[in-house]
Amino acid sequence: MKIRLENIVKRFDDNTAVDDFSAVIESGELVTLLGPSGCGKSTMLNMLSGILYPTEGKIYFDEDDVTYMSSEKRGVGLVFQNYALYPHMTVLENICFPLEIKKVPKKERIEKAKKMAELVHVETMLNRKPGQLSGGQQQRVAIARALVKEPRLLLLDEPLSNLDARLRIEMREEIRRIQLETGVTTIFVTHDQEEAMSISDHIILMKLGVLQQYDKPQYLYDQPANCFVADFLGNPPINKVEGVVKGGKVLLGPNEEDSLVRTDNVPDGTPVYLSFRSESVILDDKSPLRARVVLTSVMGKEIITSFVLAGKEVRGYMNSDVELQRDQEIGIRFKKTGVFVFDRESGERYL
Amino acid sequence: MIKRPFIERIKPFLYLLPFIISVTLFTLYPIVNVIRMSFLEGYKYLTGAYTGVGFGNYEKVINDPYFRQAISNTFKYVLLVVPISTVIAVILANVLNQKIKFQGFFQTCYFLPMVTSSLAVGLSWRFMFNDKYGVINYLLTLLGIDPVTFLGNPSGNFLALVIFGIWAILPNTIILLLSGLQNIDPLYYTAAKVDGAKTLRIFFRITVPLLAPTIMLVIIINMISTFKMYHELFPLFNGPGVAYNLFTVVYYIYYEFRVLTPPKYGYASAAAVMLLVIVFVFTMLQRAVQAWSRKERGEDVKQVKKHRDALR
Repeated sequence: MKIRLENIVKRFDDNTAVDDFSAVIESGELVTLLGPSGCGKSTMLNMLSGILYPTEGKIYFDEDDVTYMSSEKRGVGLVFQNYALYPHMTVLENICFPLEIKKVPKKERIEKAKKMAELVHVETMLNRKPGQLSGGQQQRVAIARALVKEPRLLLLDEPLSNLDARLRIEMREEIRRIQLETGVTTIFVTHDQEEAMSISDHIILMKLGVLQQYDKPQYLYDQPANCFVADFLGNPPINKVEGVVKGGKVLLGPNEEDSLVRTDNVPDGTPVYLSFRSESVILDDKSPLRARVVLTSVMGKEIITSFVLAGKEVRGYMNSDVELQRDQEIGIRFKKTGVFVFDRESGERYL
Repeated sequence: MIKRPFIERIKPFLYLLPFIISVTLFTLYPIVNVIRMSFLEGYKYLTGAYTGVGFGNYEKVINDPYFRQAISNTFKYVLLVVPISTVIAVILANVLNQKIKFQGFFQTCYFLPMVTSSLAVGLSWRFMFNDKYGVINYLLTLLGIDPVTFLGNPSGNFLALVIFGIWAILPNTIILLLSGLQNIDPLYYTAAKVDGAKTLRIFFRITVPLLAPTIMLVIIINMISTFKMYHELFPLFNGPGVAYNLFTVVYYIYYEFRVLTPPKYGYASAAAVMLLVIVFVFTMLQRAVQAWSRKERGEDVKQVKKHRDALR
């Protein structure tokens, strides 16, 4: 089902939680609402599920205006952060409950619930109570319960944040598999950028209620719309060095060292950030841009080097055959990709 | 090992002494004494003289028509007041738990009986129950029902007592149930609503089962307190009903002990011990049911641990 959001505004008293939000979500896609806490992503989800209604704007499911339609009529399945499985019902009863409400005959209910349980791999624990399940198993049951009534839209509200690190990776792959198998349009809310990158067809990145960028995950990483997007995505976080533009050159730090990065059409004297990914640094002894090594640390198969560039400590993956020593002076330059120039005040992207 | 000085060794016991003394004096001694007296036949409290030891008091009490009436009245009272008050309290607690206008006002109304003297309020109930001028009979006639002689006639006495008993027990019950309701995560309601569940289904399929442990607790507490009912008799009837027809077990104990001259200490004690046994059995029953329901809810800690270990 295609979802169209038109100029959604949600205000709580004086506080604007979502501001002029417009987006189109294509049928059958898994789209992540990503952002730090308080960015309005959960508010957005609650408006999609019908728990909250927008102050202004319209929500369309295909061609139906559902803006002020109540939850049960929208046909949405909702998975909560702490699962909200009914503790007094068995797994089977939990999965059956939405069908019981819809007055589906008992035999058919159980049949459908069992099929769902198989899909999410909990078919062996149908008679257990939620209290006897692990977090991951509870999550699977919650997904089965949301999917059993064949919703037009599946909504997942931070579904992985109560799981430990290893289980989280396993469950996000599971969610993707289940989503692809059922083909249900899915909206996934998270604050974890890695989770969002690994699972989504598209990501909507939000900040303070405003949509920042809506793109494919890789595109969000490679071509951030502004400084916030660049800062939010990537691990290790993107490096940021203060600089100023002069004659199309980006000069770094108080000593105005030439970064060798060029931008056109930026007025002289504009304060900027030079942001670059850790993998976009190249070791080049002949380069006039000098830096001083602080620390090298082995992270799995890669070696990450911390170094001081124009007075700021930054990090990069250096393919050096020789081991770099502390306080050693090195020459560096940047690759064409993964290097951006942002306005220091507005965050607008120049390069 | 260095032996600590004597005073150091007995210090902990000295700290415990006030508690031990008060419990012994005011709790243990009376219980033991009542049990002892229940086996002493023809006991005279002041002289300590008695004519025999055995089950004679029990035999007498069990064969006393007043005691039989007391047992039957008490059981009837418990079986009527506890379930009816529980059902009413669950419904009212649910209403009070909603976000409604004047919530504070309604809560105060329902909790008022708790802070008022039951004797004083009992007297005003006496007016409400009045055959000719009482508001209850006025309402009944409005509904086209014949007025009931609540107080003047033995047939109406018991009904009046039950109505008063239910009313008196409600506030405590509602408070306990409200605290139970507030422990239910509102997310369960949201989840059910998103799936399209209506109020009644949510109430019966989610609220009541999740409230079951509290309901259980309330039933037991109310059972124990209603088994011991007797002071409600005074404001309404000045005693066990108009025709000595409303004996309850505790009133019987009081009667043998205080009203009769000379007092029958042995009979009173035997009746008290029997009540103790009855209440004890019900308490044990309640604990068993609670343990069972906890297990049903999958809260068995050992079991959960076992599943978690198996997953590793």
